[in-house]
Order: sequence, then C-alpha cells, then structure tokens
Amino acid sequence: MIWVFVAVLSIAAMGALALSLRAGAPPREDADSMPAIFNDQLAEIDRDVARGVLPERDADAARVEIRRNVLRHLRMTGAGQLGRPRSSNTGVVLAMAFVPLFAVSYYTQFGSPGLSGMAVSEQREARLERQRVLALTSQLEDRLEADDAGGAFEGWMLLGQTRIRLGQYSEAATAYEIASKRPEADSSVFSMLAEALIAGENGIVTPAADKAIDEAALRDPSNPAVTFYKALSLQQSGRSAAAHDLIVARLDAVDGFFPWMESLVAQANRIGEGIGRAPLSLRDFAPMIAGPDADDIANAAEMSTEERSAFIRSMVQRLADRLEEEPDDLDGWMRLGRAYVVLGDTNAARQAYQKASALARDLSDSDPRNAQINKALGSLRQ
Amino acid sequence: MIPEIGHFALVLALALAIVQSVLPIWGAARNDVVWMQSAVWSSIGQVALTGVAFAALMTSFIQSDFTVVNVVENSHSLKPMLFKISGTWGSHEGSLLLWVLILAVFGALVATFASNVAVHTKARTLSVQAWITVGFLSFLLLTSNPFDRVYPAPPDGQDLNPLLQDVGLAMHPPLLYLGYVGFSIVFSFAVAALIEGRVDAAWARWVRPWTLAAWVFLTAGIALGSWWAYYELGWGGWWFWDPVENVSFMPWLMGTALLHSAIVTEKRGAFKSWTILLAVLTFSLSLLGTFIVRSGLLTSVHAFAVDPERGLYILALLAVSIGGSFALYAWRAPSMEGGGLFRPVSREGGLLVNNLILAAATGVVLFGTLYPLIYEALSGGQKLSVGPPFFNAAFIPMMLPLVFVMGLGPFLSWKRASSRHVALQVRYVGLLAIGFGFVLWYALRGGPVLGYVSLALAVWLLGATLREWAFRIQLFKVPFRDAMRRARSLPRAAHGMALAHAGLAVAIFGFVGSSVWKSEQILFVTPGTEITIAGFDVTFTGAEKVRGPNYIADRGALEVRRGGAEVTTLFPERRFYPVAQSNTTESAIRSTLAGDLYASLAEPASDQAGANGAWTLRILYEPLVNFIWIGSVLLVIGGLVSLSDRRLRVGAPGRRMQRAPTVPAE
Repeated sequence: MIWVFVAVLSIAAMGALALSLRAGAPPREDADSMPAIFNDQLAEIDRDVARGVLPERDADAARVEIRRNVLRHLRMTGAGQLGRPRSSNTGVVLAMAFVPLFAVSYYTQFGSPGLSGMAVSEQREARLERQRVLALTSQLEDRLEADDAGGAFEGWMLLGQTRIRLGQYSEAATAYEIASKRPEADSSVFSMLAEALIAGENGIVTPAADKAIDEAALRDPSNPAVTFYKALSLQQSGRSAAAHDLIVARLDAVDGFFPWMESLVAQANRIGEGIGRAPLSLRDFAPMIAGPDADDIANAAEMSTEERSAFIRSMVQRLADRLEEEPDDLDGWMRLGRAYVVLGDTNAARQAYQKASALARDLSDSDPRNAQINKALGSLRQ
Repeated sequence: MIPEIGHFALVLALALAIVQSVLPIWGAARNDVVWMQSAVWSSIGQVALTGVAFAALMTSFIQSDFTVVNVVENSHSLKPMLFKISGTWGSHEGSLLLWVLILAVFGALVATFASNVAVHTKARTLSVQAWITVGFLSFLLLTSNPFDRVYPAPPDGQDLNPLLQDVGLAMHPPLLYLGYVGFSIVFSFAVAALIEGRVDAAWARWVRPWTLAAWVFLTAGIALGSWWAYYELGWGGWWFWDPVENVSFMPWLMGTALLHSAIVTEKRGAFKSWTILLAVLTFSLSLLGTFIVRSGLLTSVHAFAVDPERGLYILALLAVSIGGSFALYAWRAPSMEGGGLFRPVSREGGLLVNNLILAAATGVVLFGTLYPLIYEALSGGQKLSVGPPFFNAAFIPMMLPLVFVMGLGPFLSWKRASSRHVALQVRYVGLLAIGFGFVLWYALRGGPVLGYVSLALAVWLLGATLREWAFRIQLFKVPFRDAMRRARSLPRAAHGMALAHAGLAVAIFGFVGSSVWKSEQILFVTPGTEITIAGFDVTFTGAEKVRGPNYIADRGALEVRRGGAEVTTLFPERRFYPVAQSNTTESAIRSTLAGDLYASLAEPASDQAGANGAWTLRILYEPLVNFIWIGSVLLVIGGLVSLSDRRLRVGAPGRRMQRAPTVPAE
C-alpha cells in the first residue's frame, strides 16, 4: 500500500518539473518595474514641494538626478537574449529522472515501509482497555480511602496486585505498605511489598526493600520470595557467592517440586554466571519431574519431524506414568493436559484437566490455576 | 503508514530542492528560459510535499500514533486536542519541520506572486532559497527525523511540558518562524543580487514587501512570546533579556534597519551595499538564533557536546551560509555604484542615523548574548550570566536618540532639508513633550530621571508622528472633507509609517511605566492576611483544591478593594500535572488600561505551614503594561497597511509600466 503512495508522490514531483517544459515563449525580460519606480520618485518630489518641505530649486536638482538615473538604466538594460537551447529539455528530463531515483533509494535505505499503520487502531484499543482498568483501579482506591475502617485488607492487596500489573510500582508499594500494617499481614505481603519497591527502583534493592525482606523472613523464613530477593540484595552488595549459596541451600531443603523452583534456579544461574559456578538444573533438586534437560533439547533439535513427535510422546508418557503413581500433583496434571492439547489429543487432555479440576477444588478462589483449568476445559468442550 | 508517507514526501522535497539549487541558476547563466522557469514549479512542488509531510506528522499527533518516536516523546493520549495539534511543532524535530515548511512557503510565494521581478533575478533568488532548503532538509532528515518509528509501540506518550500547554505558545513559534524564515527570502534576493551584480531601485522595491511581511510576522511573534511570558510563566514581567528572547530580537532590530535602508535604496539609489549587508546580516542572525536555540548551546556549552552530531551539522550550515555570503559580499560589493548625494540634514541622513543606532544596538544585544557562552568555553566551564542590568545600561540609552530622530525623520525631505523649517514645524510638539516631562516629575517625584526622559520622548514621538500625518493631509488647514480626500490619496505606506511610529510611542509608555513604576511584594500569607499595594487593599481569604481536565490545582482567593469599595476577586492557581509530574503557575490578573494588578501563588510556605493554609504570594502592580500590547498591535497593523500599498502590491508595477509610456510627460 505504501508503495502506491510512493508512486503517486513521485509522479507528482516529476509532473511539477515537467510543467516547466511548457515555458513556451520567453517571458518578458523587461518585466521590470524601473519606470514605475522612477515615476513614483518624481511624484514624491512633487508631493514634497506641494507640502512645502522642498524648495523648488532643490526639487529641480532632484528631478535632474532621477532623469540621469533613468538614462543610465536604459543604457544598462538589453543584456542577454533569452532562449531555449536544445539541451534544456534534456536537462529537465534528467532532473525528472533524478528526483524519484534519489528519493526511492534514500527511502528504502532509511524508511520503515514495512511498519503498517494498522498499529494505530490496535494502539487505541489497548489504550482504551488500559484506561478502563486504570479508572476501575482508582475507583477501588477511592473506595478504600473513603472507608472509615481504613478499607479491607484484601482490597489493598488487590489494589497492589493491579498496580503491579499496570506497571505503577510506587503506587503498588503504597497499597502494600498499608496492607502490611494490618494484623492479617503475613510473610507474602512483605515480600510483595519488597517486590514493588525493587521494581519501582528498576531492580535496585533499597534499604526500605531490605527492611521489607527482613520482615517477610521473620514471619516465614521458608517463603521462597524471601530467598529470591535476599539473594538479589546480597548480590547487589557484592556478595554473589553468599547469594548463590543461599539459593542452593533453599532448593536443597525442598522435598518435591514447586513451580517457584524454576525461578529460583534461574536466579541462581544468573548469579552463578558472574562468579563462575556451574549452572544448576531443576532436576538436581526435583528428580521426580521428568522435564527435558539440555541434552534432550539438543537431541530434539537434530531429529526429523516424526522422530521428534515420537520423542515428545515418550516424554508425555513418562509424565503420565509418574502421575499414575502420584495422583495428587495438581501442577503435573495441568502440565499433562497442556501437553495433550499441543499433541492434539483432545480426549486425553480433557481427562487430565478433569483430574486437575478435582484437585483444584481445595484451592482458594483467587488462585489463578482455577481460572486456567476452567478456561482449558471450556475450550476443550467446544 | 501515514508517517511513512510523510517521510517519503520529505525525501522527495529534498530531491526537488537539489534540482532547484542547480538548474535555475545555471539557466540564468546561459539565458535558458526553461531551466529558469523550472524554479517556479519545483518551488510549488516543494511546498506541496513539505505540506504533505507536515500534515502527516500532525495526523500522527492527532491520532496519537505512538509508533512515531516524536509523538511518544511529545504527546499523550489524554492531552486536549488543541495541544495535540500544537505538539506537532513543540519538539525539536517538529519545529524544524515547520521551519522548512515556512521556508518552502516563502519560496513558493515568490515563485507565484513576484511576477514583477526580472526573470534572471527571480531564478537566481529561488536557487539560493533552494540552497538553504537543501541545508535544512538534509539536517532534518539526517539528524532529527520527525518520522523515526518505534515498534512495539509504548502504551502511551510522555506528554508535552504543561507550561507549553497554552494558546499563546501554540501560536507563538509559528509566527516567530514566519518572521525568522521570512528573512530567508530577503537573504536570497541579496545573494542573487550579489551574484548578478545588480542592486538598484527596482531590486529594493522587489525586496521591500518580503522584508515588510517578515518584519510584521516577527513583530507579532515577539509580542506574542512576551505576552505569553507575562501571562503564563507567572514571572510578572514581559521581557527578561533571556538569550532565547534576544536571538529573536536581534533579527528584528536588523530587519527594522533593513526596512528603512531599503527605502533609501528604492527612493534614492543610495545605501546599496549597506542594504545588501543588512539583508545578509538579518538572516544570519536568524540562523544564529536557530543554531543557539537548537544546538542546546544555551543550557551549557557542554550540552552542545551531548549531541554533537546535530550541533556540528547546524554549525557547518551556519559557517557555509554566513561565511559564503560574506565572502561573496566582500568580493562583489566594491563594484556597486554609489547612489545620490545628500546633506547631513536630510531624510537620508535621518535614516542613516536610524541604521547606525539599530546596528549598534544589535551589536550590544549580540555581545550580551554570546559573551556568557564564549566565557564558559574559554574559562573551562565557569558560568556567568549577562542580565537585565547590562542591557538596561547599554541598550536603553542608545534607544533615546533613536526615538528623538524618529520623531524628526518624517519631516525631513530627501537630499537636503532645511533645519529651520523642520524646527518651526515641531516646536509645539517639542514644548509639549518637555512640559509633559516636568509636570509628570512634579506629580510623581519618584523614580529615575531616565524614566521621565523616556516618557517625554514617547510623547514627543507620538506628537511628532501625529503632527506630520496631520501636516501631510493639511488637517485643520483645509476643510475636513478635503483633508480626508488627501488622506485617501496619500500612499498607504505613509499611513503605515505613521501607525507604526505611533505604535512604538504607545509601547514605550508601557515599557517605561511597567518597569520604572512597578510595585512588587513577595510575602507569606495565611487566610485573612491583608496587603496594601499601589492603592489597593488585598485580602487573602484562603486556598482550595480544584480539579481540571488533566491537572489538579490549588486555587487561592484574593479580595481586592480600593477605598473600601470592592473591586474584584483574584484567583491565582498553582497547577499540578500528574502525567508530566510538574507544576505550573497560573497567575490571576486584573487588567485595566491604567495598569495590571497581578497575583501568583508560589509554593506553600512549608509543609507544616501548608497544612495551615499558608502560602508564598507574589503580588505586583504594573502601571500602563497594556500599552505594550496596544503598541505592538499598532506596529503590526502599520506594517500590514504599508504592505497593502499599491506600489508594493506584487505584479502591479509591471502592469502599470506597460501603460506608462502612453502617459504624456507632466
């Protein structure tokens, strides 16, 4: 589409130059205003004489001077003869060729013809959605602030979570801070406060954040977020080895598998990279999960399509077998359901999600996994 | 896609400008009609393409297309529509695009309407204009492309400085640029004349309407900017000798000199090389202004180094255009013929004094503006500022003789004037002015002598201008109807001059009144505090929070009484714009012809005091300040009336000339 406009504009620019070829008869070279100006100069002398600021004797001298200028001007005019040499058309045609050539070659080099303008309407929708969420959030905030009892604890937590999602970290920290002063405040409130404070400072652990981490550790030393942020804090104060050790110790203490272990392992590897420690793998701490390891992935990359599909099936089968033995693993069933969806086995996927759904009954309503399972079952039913 | 169309249109405009910078001037050298005429069409093509680019950028701002970096940095989806539009030229890139657009507009205007200009001169002029366009378009495209894209697009923009969210400011840069850039065409005419070796009365007449138009725009732009500083910034003043103000004032001073010098060249064939030099200097000062403002040189010499690419490019542009035109001038000017002779007491003599004073005044302003920069560069970063005391001491005394001569000048005849005759005509006006000064002194008895002298000179200028106008139409000497008939037959330029000179006189009342007899108080106020200023009793009744469309504000209330009678209530505001995280001051003004009572709310006195409603309040009374704006309007109207003069109307002399030979000699 953009190239249509490029063509139209180029043709217009060339057309403008082409119009100069129409310059037929030479325009009057004497399109010159000298006589009119000399007339005006004489008229002004008359006006000055009439209002009495110029004596007649001086006026005559001035008139003589103007007439002398007229003569000199007449001598000077009649310079070159205007013409239309044969080469003039060639020159214009060359210029007409130059214009689009120059413009298109510059534009293809520096322009962004591929960036579509459709983005504008998408942007507008995203912005409207964001504005709606922002409006709802400020409504919630107003309600909480107006509440004589100081607003519900859950309300402040919800406000904090929404602010985090909107990227308004310092506002989120304010909400969490209010929640943290309530008797209901447990370790997770403080770790979320720390998270908001750190995100608000672009990842720098401030003294205020350190304090929140310590408060969280005081209430529940096993809170994995405490380990995560404590390690970050240690690393930023130059004690990367201690930070790495802290995470490894925490992971060693785990019995079984929990989703947060992945981020702790990733965090440990980030820190370990800087001090030359060997990378860790999730399987070192949770052998029961049979996820693909680095070798598996490398192998999979070299396989043909059929081989890869068979390989994936065998991996999924391994997971299914394990779940037969440990049927209480909610996250495992969800992972299995997702795998079957990817493999296109709708029936098996539905069964796996139904198992997960049964286990999820004990979860609180706010747990996101409920929504994920319901959504997956909803789409599998169609 | 719209930004891409704009980008491509701009590149095409550059290609056309390159063609125009070569073909017409070459055509003029070999008498080729087609090549010379190509300037007309490529000028029109350029203005169309630059217009498309500008419209594309404006559309991106209106639609809040955040894939355009410039829109992200200078707009926000919540901003009022008017300021989304003005955001188009609010940024460095956008304002340069506007610069180039106006450059193209002036080129196209000359191409279309200057049909009375000789073919060769016109072709050369348009080529020179295209040289400037090539320089600025390539600067724009290579270092400050307004159509740079970003993907994925950020969710929202980063706003425009809320200070800039003002109608006065939305209009101020376009007008200022129309003035600045308008002088480009005069520069092009001058360079073309130097190349051609032809400077005569006709040349001066071709140049005059363009000089006048640029001067009118620049006057309006400066006045509007000053008005904006006065009403929006809340500084309680209208001129601060700030470098940004100075760089627009210098071309104005030079342009004013040029306007007058061109008259001598047109009427008497004299001052030729001087007029050319002024034309070159005026635009050079416009370029220098653009350079100083756009290179970041003002914040600090070191800010220049932060983005050296832009700074160096524009410095090179400056060196080539100013250096090139001066070299050309040095080479060609000596060959110009001298004009008519004149006595010291004559219209020429008066205009020479005007030119010399204006040029010297420009030098003073230039020195005061550049000295801190030079000092910082040479001293290795030590800062120094040259402020109002320097300019008041150096600039104002130079203006006094200028105003005196301004009153006399129009009475002088060309070539040789009679001092006795002129003195007879202005004696009553002189006595009136001196008497006014003494009466005022007796009545007020305060303030510097210079203040009284200035006001007396303003009365002198106003009186002399009116006297001269009345004299020309023989008002009160002949029946009123005859006088009106004479007024109608007088060239419009004469009316324009009278209006503009009277406008300056009126403005001087404002300048002097509001700076010499200003009263100012800055104090802590709590609800109930009473202040007495310039005869007003003002009571602060407290401040409350109010909510605007995209800001929240503290609004103070001040009850104003005089002699017990209620006059008005003022509501100064201090606004906070959450998106931009910044504060602005909205002053409250009670405006009358006699003077402005002006109040602005600064910060709460302290956090603690803020809780009790205590604020820092700035309140001042500026006598006669509105005369500045009235005078400026008169100056602009004077320029426009003069511009409408039949003799300057483009094309008219050409048609007249065809008939002229048939008119028998008088």
